[in-house]
Amino acid sequence: MTSVPGIEKVLIANRGEIALRVATTLRRLGIASAAVVHAEDAGSPAALAVDEACPIEGETPVAAHLDADQIIRIAREIGADALHPGYGFLAENAPFAEAVEAAGLRWIGPTPEAIRLMGDKIESRRFVAGAGFPLTPSASEEDDPATFASRAEEIGFPLLIKASAGGGGKGMQIVRSPGDLPRAIELARSEAARYFADDRIYAERYVESPRHVEVQILADAHGKVLHLGERDCSIQRRFQKLVEETPAPAMDDALRSRICAQAVAIARAAGYRNAGTVEFVLAPDGEFYFLEMNTRLQVEHPVTEMVTGIDLVEEQVKIAAGQPLSFDQASIRFEGASIECRLCAEDPDEDFRPAVGPLLLVRPPEGPGVRFDGGIAEGQEVTTAFDPMLAKVIVHGRDRTEAIARMRKALSETVILGCTTNAAYLERILGHADFAAGRVETGFIPSHEAELASPPLATEERDTVLAAAALSNRDFVERVSAVPEPAASIGRWQN
Amino acid sequence: MGYDFALQDESFAVHPVHRPGRGHLAIEGRAFAAELFPGLVPGEHFLEIDGRQERIFVAVRGDVHFIHWRGRAHRVEAIDALERARRAADPAGGAEVIQAPMPGTVVEVAVAAGQTVAPGQLLMTIESMKLQTAINAPADAIVGEVCVADGDTFDQGDVLVRLAAGDEEDAGANEEEAR
Repeated sequence: MTSVPGIEKVLIANRGEIALRVATTLRRLGIASAAVVHAEDAGSPAALAVDEACPIEGETPVAAHLDADQIIRIAREIGADALHPGYGFLAENAPFAEAVEAAGLRWIGPTPEAIRLMGDKIESRRFVAGAGFPLTPSASEEDDPATFASRAEEIGFPLLIKASAGGGGKGMQIVRSPGDLPRAIELARSEAARYFADDRIYAERYVESPRHVEVQILADAHGKVLHLGERDCSIQRRFQKLVEETPAPAMDDALRSRICAQAVAIARAAGYRNAGTVEFVLAPDGEFYFLEMNTRLQVEHPVTEMVTGIDLVEEQVKIAAGQPLSFDQASIRFEGASIECRLCAEDPDEDFRPAVGPLLLVRPPEGPGVRFDGGIAEGQEVTTAFDPMLAKVIVHGRDRTEAIARMRKALSETVILGCTTNAAYLERILGHADFAAGRVETGFIPSHEAELASPPLATEERDTVLAAAALSNRDFVERVSAVPEPAASIGRWQN
Repeated sequence: MGYDFALQDESFAVHPVHRPGRGHLAIEGRAFAAELFPGLVPGEHFLEIDGRQERIFVAVRGDVHFIHWRGRAHRVEAIDALERARRAADPAGGAEVIQAPMPGTVVEVAVAAGQTVAPGQLLMTIESMKLQTAINAPADAIVGEVCVADGDTFDQGDVLVRLAAGDEEDAGANEEEAR
């Protein structure tokens, strides 16, 4: 018997850091863990951490992770009684959630109905507007395709064209003038079809200099809906989050309670269950608008765990098992500040182009208040097969200043060699005066492009790096040793 | 004989220098006392240079040296004499090849051989790690050869498009071919 009655074995239908993250909590709870593993991930930390690694096959690794039938067949074969989808892949796929439940397994996530209602951007906006909550003006193509362009124009510029089924910035276009609208619609539609096999799109008002603020929700099957505070995720590139933190900087308690209360009200109205996140656009004037709801665990959930001490995966499992939440809103304590940085295989100096290469040396950061959620191992090859995120560095401090200092130190001590990463770039973001002052907004990266670029190496720095390279080059050192005298005196040159 | 080490798209000459007592090297003609000692944990090294000691992490694959120092990772490539000669003998004589900046797949080829293209004109759209990237013409040119087709996969450095030289003779020849 495990510490969660009814759940003996969980199949994790994911990979990388989140599969490892879920496996860690399952182990702590005494629950057997299994994960589906593509050959590309054989020997990965996640595959080694679970009790059972179950091979999955597919034309590409991503296709394998999207193969619902195969995953459910594996779950039955190994006798799993629950399935955790992680994030991405099939995590917000209502038919998959239904199929998992139909196969007699517990789905560790919201009900398929809630995914259908809140996981779809158009449906959820319609629902939230209907329930009387504020959202930015928008127009949906499917309401009347013939008039979509003119209805989009009526919203006013700048506006955003987005994929209805989308996420992660895929299929999203900013339009600043009417002339750019037709091309943006075309692009968004083709990207939507490509990434989500669903070409429905919609347009919405683009709030200038907005902050992205979201609220973590936990809801059980007994009607209790709680919030675990907010997160600011304004530091983004390509509409994808890079740095997330809680509490949100420069937000007063009154605004914080209003935004959290509204998130709880939206989740309650939707009959939501399990962990979820309500995302808002926060305008400079303090107005906020519902953006969307993420019906799953999020990449940035650790910052909430760091300040509340609540293990969100544990709560997800218990909620799925039908247990009531064991705490109340008033008993949730928020201590200190937490920041997360997403460590990605990409080159910030080349427009964040994804990088590939072997992971020759991986040395995670350590120290008080530092957490490293990674699924990478030395010897692994970073390829284009999956998302470029390698790991997450998370810190906790007594206050934001201490958290920033700890993060900067952790990032500079994170050694990943063989594949270009954004570690030094993230450190420069954290070291920027505007970040320190809490002046963050979603345009932070483009508007600070020049200050965030890699500084050129001073001659002394350049010489240090070159000397290190030369002295670790076998040919160079051997050539030196081949010289008869004074070879003995330089015998210590070694790699 | 010295070595060239390329760092941030620039090449620097590094020579061993022999003096009794300790290791020396010269970078671009400037001599340094420098020694490298392995540390206690994998990859860790201590570099003594000009009386300073620096803690660095080093990983080597082939001719490429990855150096982590003071929070930054650097990529230094050792260029041997043969490669140096090859690079010197190939001063990109007018024609231009467009190479894949990263591995990926071709989403859509937008041009055909013989076509005249303007600077910034879309040659093809490629996709890598779920991101689409436009490959644009760097200058006025004529498309010599499109080396990939829609849906093809390619590796970093693979030739995607060959552009014929912008000079009149070549351009004329290509136009005739196109007709």
